[in-house]
Amino acid sequence: MTEHWSLALQVAADTTRAYGEFPLIGARAAVWIAAEVHLMFAAFVLGVPMFAVVAEAIGIVGKDARYDRLAKEFTRLLLVAYSATAIWGAILVFILATLWMKPWAYLTAVFAPSMWLYAALFFCESFTLYLYYYGWDRWKYGRPKWGHWGLGLLLNLWGTIVMFIANSWLTYMMTPPRDVTPSTDPATIKLWHAIANATWMPINVHRLIANVVFGGAIVAAYASYRFLAAKTDEERAHYDWMGYVGNFIAISALIVLPFAGYWLGREIYQYDQSMGITMMGGFMSWLWVIQAFLIAVLFLTGNYYLWIGMGRIPGAERFRPYTKWLLVVLVLGAIVWGTPHTMIADSKELAAMGGSHHPFLGALGVMSAKNTAVNLMILTTFLSFLMYRRANTRPVVPWAGTGTIIQGAMFAVAAGVVLFYGIRGYFVEAIVRIGFSVYQVLAVLSCIVFVTLIDILMARGAQSLGAIQWGKMPPRSQYALFILAVTFTWLMGLMGFARSGIRQYWHVWQVVQDTSKYAATPALGYASKMISLCVLIFLTLVAFVFWLGGLAEKSTFVSPGESAGGGRHVGH
Amino acid sequence: MWATNLKVVGIVLGTLALYTLIANKIPQVQSEVPQTLTLGANVTPEQLVAAGEKVFNGIGGCTTCHGLGTRAPNLLTDEKGTGPIGARCGKREAGKDCKQYLYESLDDPKAYVVAGYQPIMPVMTKQLSPPQVWSVIAFLESEGGTVDVTASDIPASSSTSTTSTTSTTPGGGGGGGSGGFAGGSADPKAIIQAAGCLACHKLDGQGQVIAPDLTHVGSRRDAESIRKKILDPASSIAKGYEKLAGIMPKTFGTMMSAAQLEALAQYLAAHK
Repeated sequence: MTEHWSLALQVAADTTRAYGEFPLIGARAAVWIAAEVHLMFAAFVLGVPMFAVVAEAIGIVGKDARYDRLAKEFTRLLLVAYSATAIWGAILVFILATLWMKPWAYLTAVFAPSMWLYAALFFCESFTLYLYYYGWDRWKYGRPKWGHWGLGLLLNLWGTIVMFIANSWLTYMMTPPRDVTPSTDPATIKLWHAIANATWMPINVHRLIANVVFGGAIVAAYASYRFLAAKTDEERAHYDWMGYVGNFIAISALIVLPFAGYWLGREIYQYDQSMGITMMGGFMSWLWVIQAFLIAVLFLTGNYYLWIGMGRIPGAERFRPYTKWLLVVLVLGAIVWGTPHTMIADSKELAAMGGSHHPFLGALGVMSAKNTAVNLMILTTFLSFLMYRRANTRPVVPWAGTGTIIQGAMFAVAAGVVLFYGIRGYFVEAIVRIGFSVYQVLAVLSCIVFVTLIDILMARGAQSLGAIQWGKMPPRSQYALFILAVTFTWLMGLMGFARSGIRQYWHVWQVVQDTSKYAATPALGYASKMISLCVLIFLTLVAFVFWLGGLAEKSTFVSPGESAGGGRHVGH
Repeated sequence: MWATNLKVVGIVLGTLALYTLIANKIPQVQSEVPQTLTLGANVTPEQLVAAGEKVFNGIGGCTTCHGLGTRAPNLLTDEKGTGPIGARCGKREAGKDCKQYLYESLDDPKAYVVAGYQPIMPVMTKQLSPPQVWSVIAFLESEGGTVDVTASDIPASSSTSTTSTTSTTPGGGGGGGSGGFAGGSADPKAIIQAAGCLACHKLDGQGQVIAPDLTHVGSRRDAESIRKKILDPASSIAKGYEKLAGIMPKTFGTMMSAAQLEALAQYLAAHK
C-alpha cells in the first residue's frame, strides 16, 4: 500500500506542474522577497505590541503620562504596519500557490486546519488592535484603563498564537517527525504530531525574543528620525527619550537571544547531526563570520550611543575616562569573535595559509576564545548601562561604598570565571569544552542579575546630580540608531537564510526533495544581495508607513487656538 | 530637512552596501544538488582526479573535518614533513599500498585510526557511489603521489553511470538501488555486509555497539517487527537507545528487493 502511494506521488510529481517561473527575477527571488518582507513586517507587528503593553503598564502603575503617550505612539505605528503585513502575506500565499506548487500542496495537505485557524486568529488580532488603539482615549482613566490594558494583552496573545502556528509550518520543513518518510501520505500525518516537531518550541522562543529586539530597534530608528526632524525642544526631548527606550529594549533582549539560539542549535544537532555540521562547519561556515561582524557592529554602536548619551547627564563626566577601556575590550572581543576557524578551504587556500589554521590567529578562532570574547563583550555592555544608569545619582545609603565594592567584585569574579574556563578549554576534550560555555554564561547572567539588584537597592533615596537633559544629543547619536536598525534587520535576514538554507535541496528535510532548477542553495554573495534588497524594500515601506502615521497625527492633533485658522500642526 | 533625509538614506544605503560587499568578498560556497557521476570504461586518471576533487570539496563533505586538522588529519597539506596524503598514504600501514590504504579508510575507517585522532569518520562507501569513492581516491593520490586508479577498479555494474542520492544521508549511495544490495543476492550475510549494518550494530561478535546488538534480536522481535523496523526505523525504538532515534537511515527498505527484505527479516528473527 505504502509503495503504491509512493508511486502515485511520484507519478503526480512527474505529470503535474510542480513549479512555476516568475518574469525577470525568477521564482526563487520572488518567493524570497515575498517571504522575507512579510516576515519582517510580521516581526515588527508582533514585537511592538509587547512593549506597548509594558510601557502602558509602567505608565499606569507609575502614573507617568510619558509612558502612556509612548505606548499609544507605538500602537499608532502598528495600524498601517498591520495592513502591510497582511498585504505581503497575501502576496506570499499567491506566490507560493503559483510558483511553488509541489511543496505548497504538500504543506497544505498536512497543515490545512491550522491555516484556517491562522486566518481566523489574524482576524481577531486585527480587530483587537483597532479596539486597543481607537479606545485609547475613551478608556484612559481608572478601572477602564486596566480593561484597555487587558486588550493589549489579548492582542499579544493572538499575535503569539499566530506566530506559533506559522512557525510550525517552517519548522516542520526543517525537522519533520522521524516517522515521516517520503512515502508517507501527508494527509495521514496527525496535525499536532506535525506541529510539535523538534525545532518548533526553540524557534518559537527565539522568534519571540528576536521580535522584541527588532521592534525596539525599528521604534528607536523612528524616534531618531523624529528627533532629527523635530522643531521644538519639547519634541526633541520626547523623541530622544523614545529612542533611548527603544534601544534599551533592543539591546537588553539581544543579550538573552544567543541562549535561545544555542537551544535551537542543539536541537538541530540532536535531530540530525549532518544538518548541524552543514550549518556550523559545512558550506555555511563563513556565514558565522559575517554574523560575528554584524553583532560586533551592534555591540559597538549600542555602546557608542550610550557613551554619547552620557553627555546629556549631569555627573556622567566622572565615568568618561573609563569608556576608552570599555572600547578596547569591545574591539578586542569583536576581533576574536570574528576570527575564522572551521572554514571550508580548498588546497590552494590551505597552502597559502601554511596549514589548516592561520599560524597566529588559529588559536583565537576556536570556541574557547570566542565564547570568552562574547561573554566579556556582554559584561562590558552591561557595565556601560550601569554607568549610564548611575551617572546622575550619588547613592546615600550607608553601605553604598561596600555595595560598590561588592558590585566590582562580582564583575571581577564573572570575568575571572569566563577567562578561566576560556583558557582551560584549550586543554580538554571538545565534549568537556562545550560544557564550559554553560558556566561562562551562568557567571555573566548571575553578575547581571545580582549587580542590578544591588544597584536598585543602592539607588533608593539617592542624591540627584541633575535631571537628564533629554534632547541634548548630537545628531550622530541618532544616526547610530539607524545603523542599529539596519543591522538588526539585515541580521534577521541572514539568520533566516541560515535556518532555511540548511535544508539544502529539500523542501521538507529528507521527505520532499526540491526538484526545481533552484534546488541548489546559493552562496552567501547571492544571499547577501537578496537580504539587502529585502531590507531596503522593508525600510522604504516602513518609512512610508511612518509618514502616513505622521499625517494622521497631524490631522488629529491640532491645537485649539489654531484650529479655526487651519494653522500649523502641533501634534508632537 | 532634505539634508537630514539624504544623510539618513546615505547611512542606510552605505550600511547595506558594506554588508553586501563583505559577504561577496569572502569565499563563495554553494550547496550543490548531488549529480549523476558518469565514468566511461576509458576514463583517464585526469578525469578521475577532477571528478574526485569535486566530490571531496562538495557532496562528499570531506572538508568539513579534513579541511581543519583538528577533527581529522589535513589531507592536502604537509604533515610533519611526510608531505600531503598522496605522498604519505603508502607508508601508513604495513603491507598496504596507497590505493589499498585509501580504500580501507573510506570503506572501513576504524580499521586504522591515525594517532591523536578520534574514530569519528563515517563509512563513506555507504554514502558515496563506487565511482565517487574511486574518484576521491584518485584525487587524494594526486596530492603528492601517483594516480594508479583505473576504470578497472570501479565495479563493472556501476562504472558507467551511478547516481549518488544525497551527501548527507547514510546509506543513500552505492550498494543499493532497484536491484538491491550485494547484486540482489538473497544471502542475508551478504546483504548485511553490503548494507553496512555492522557499522552500527553488532551481530555474532562482529560489528559496532552504537546501535542495539542484533545477536539475540530474535528473542525481542519477530520477523514482522524486524521487517517493519527496517522499513520504518522510527516505528519503534529499542529501550536505552532513545537518544539515537533517527540515526538509522530510512532508506534501507527502499534499497533492497522484497526477497532480500524477507530473507533478512527471517535471518535476524532466527537469532534467538
